[in-house]
Amino acid sequence: MTRAIQPLSSAMVCLLALRASVDFAAAAPPAAGSQPAKRPGPAAAVVCQSCHGANGEGSPAAKIPRLAGQSADYLDKQLRDYASGARSNEVMQNFAKPLSEVDRTAVAEYFASLTSPSIAPNPRPTDSQLARGRQLAQQGAEAERVQACDNCHGPDGSGVPHSAPYLAGQSADYLAAELQSWRQGKRKNDAGKLMSSVAERLNDADVSAVSAYFSSLGAP
Amino acid sequence: MVQRLKEVDVVIIGVGMVGSIVGKELAAAGYKVVGLERGEARFTVPEFQSPAVHDELRFDIRKALMQDNTREPVTFRNNSSETALPVRRWESFLPGTGLGGSMVHWNGQTYRFQANDFELATRTKERYGKNFLDKDVTIQDWGVTYADLEPHYDRFEYLLGTSGKAGNIKGEIQPGGDPHESPRSREYPTPPQKEHFQGALFRKAATSLGYHPFPQPSSNLSQPYTNPEGVKLNACVFCGFCERYACEHYAKSVPQTVILPVLLANPNFELRTGCQVQRINLDSTRKKATGVTYIDTAGREFEQPASLVITASFALNNVRMLLLSGIGKPYNPQSGTGVVGRNYAYQTMSSVASFFDEDVFINPFMASGASGTLINDFAGDNFDHSGLGFIGGAFIGAVNTNGRPIQYHPVPPGTPAWGKRWKEAVVKHYNHTVMFSLHGSSVSTRQNYLDLDPTYRDAWGQPLLRMTFDFPQNDLKMAAYVTAKGVEIGKAMGAKQVAGAPRTAPYTTTVYQTTHNTGGTVMGNDPRTSVVNRYLQSWDVPNVFVIGASAYPQNASWNPTDTLGALTYWAIDALKNRYLKNPGRLVSA
Repeated sequence: MTRAIQPLSSAMVCLLALRASVDFAAAAPPAAGSQPAKRPGPAAAVVCQSCHGANGEGSPAAKIPRLAGQSADYLDKQLRDYASGARSNEVMQNFAKPLSEVDRTAVAEYFASLTSPSIAPNPRPTDSQLARGRQLAQQGAEAERVQACDNCHGPDGSGVPHSAPYLAGQSADYLAAELQSWRQGKRKNDAGKLMSSVAERLNDADVSAVSAYFSSLGAP
Repeated sequence: MVQRLKEVDVVIIGVGMVGSIVGKELAAAGYKVVGLERGEARFTVPEFQSPAVHDELRFDIRKALMQDNTREPVTFRNNSSETALPVRRWESFLPGTGLGGSMVHWNGQTYRFQANDFELATRTKERYGKNFLDKDVTIQDWGVTYADLEPHYDRFEYLLGTSGKAGNIKGEIQPGGDPHESPRSREYPTPPQKEHFQGALFRKAATSLGYHPFPQPSSNLSQPYTNPEGVKLNACVFCGFCERYACEHYAKSVPQTVILPVLLANPNFELRTGCQVQRINLDSTRKKATGVTYIDTAGREFEQPASLVITASFALNNVRMLLLSGIGKPYNPQSGTGVVGRNYAYQTMSSVASFFDEDVFINPFMASGASGTLINDFAGDNFDHSGLGFIGGAFIGAVNTNGRPIQYHPVPPGTPAWGKRWKEAVVKHYNHTVMFSLHGSSVSTRQNYLDLDPTYRDAWGQPLLRMTFDFPQNDLKMAAYVTAKGVEIGKAMGAKQVAGAPRTAPYTTTVYQTTHNTGGTVMGNDPRTSVVNRYLQSWDVPNVFVIGASAYPQNASWNPTDTLGALTYWAIDALKNRYLKNPGRLVSA
């Protein structure tokens, strides 16, 4: 079983119990340590906030990605893919499936509109990891025939709306888990196999380095 | 002082597509090969990476990937009565330089010529009679047939991984492909690229008029591909930066992405960059090449002896190399004698702009250099030319390659060329216009040719190449006829206004048209009308092979690269299996 999100927070376990008929109106408590939401979102977002944080800041250590300021198109597509199974994740599928199209779009737009400071990676990556990560991100590597991540993900991984998510300030553990998932052929909801063809040319050390590098940058 | 280097088996002038493929094959066969490239080494990483590679000012306007014409321009005139002047800014055509050659900045449009094209003189006479053509037209047969080249086309396309839909496999017409194409032995290596909206509009309109639309064969790949050399390519992302640019994604098939990794790993091959070849050296008999002389970036002169010399430069530079080396008799347009520089041809590019209302969104920026949909119903000899007074034709297609902000701003005829009203028109039409390309053939004529300029010299003191060219009447008639057909398709698409722009004379080098310069070292079966034999071997100096689009006796309705790849493999076959086993003439003169 693929499970990018683990361990489960206690709040999520509660919600999983309700998965047959998630009641979005029932406000769930915010994730521990999360600041209260700066502005109220759609009712359907409350469930997301319980793991992804009230302001979409994510929970890096739990490989739960930050959503704040992420491209609405990207978030919307991921929710659709979770619901259809095109992106495989049992936990997310359970939340995504019951969402109506209107709710899904509202949730995506809400998190896209949020801002939240990045959480500094812990432990801090080594200098050599950061150097290799920066090289892969900005320049690529001819020997491995890997092009720069920033070609598609924008300068310093700041994202390109409508086409590629931002990576800067994202949880390093989440990025590494996703890269491994692309690399192993478990995640495949990319157009033209664009991510899998890059990821399959990275080794474990490169995956860690590039994930650590992006994570060390401030989120856009 | 000239430094004489150790003799090698083969020296290749120019390490572009041809040089890379020839080098790879001969090095793998055990020969010691030196590749001399005048430009710099460059690779997908780091040289082609974003954001630098998307600099429109640097690459589109200032032509960063092109031959340095402050040091090595071409001179140009429309006819022999004029004095040619150096082309100081490339516009009409864009010869590249550097490792990978001009192919690095190509669009990836990967067409075969048709069987008829290779026997054009014979077929034209058969179908339309002896006196059909203008007196000055000098078209001729190639000396090879489509059937000769088919396996080599196939090999080249599988090297590139070309994305397309076959229209004719071994004589069986395939739905969705081009029914006019000559038979191919199998399907394309990868399926066509996705059709963009303008392609879909075109397909619908062309179908309604009874034509046969098909997806453009593209070497910007539709999906990841591993070629027979074991080199992997990625899928194209439709960024719209192909022609004039290098691809940052390993998605466009160029030497760097299809063959250089294999070539450069072979210790039998040595790449030397920054080497400006001055001439091919001949022995006292003038019938045998002894190697080449080149000057490096530090100004040092070297002689590289070799048993076999292959010129694999851009078409124009192949011609100049033979003229500078005194190989073959230069063409004289007054007497019509001589061969080197004869039958220079181009292509005759027209366009049709279809302007839609502002609620039709074309999104021209979502394109690759070879995405789109087209018809061959008016290309080549696919329609009856009786009574039309010309031969040849053009493909017509919604194959616009980009919507880049500095260069792409279609506006209706009559719009001022600058100022407020121009800006308003650009805003109004940018995203609501479909541009058709009408990619037309070019006949060779007695008065269009290449020779050495009597006045101007390059940075090394050598005479420049002089181009004497204007559009033949045959091709202007063709352009007018085919453009009218394109306008009908634009109207059938439901556009509010359709403006056809057939190519007109005089030819100018100041407006971009196409980099499909051909001829000048023409191939054939008669040494009086060709520079090289059917295997691209010099008639005069048999240990010199001239491989390039300079071999085309005239130019067909399609982009020339696929045919050049096929000719390259065809020549390699003869080199490996015949010439190198027993050096000498492959065809007796």
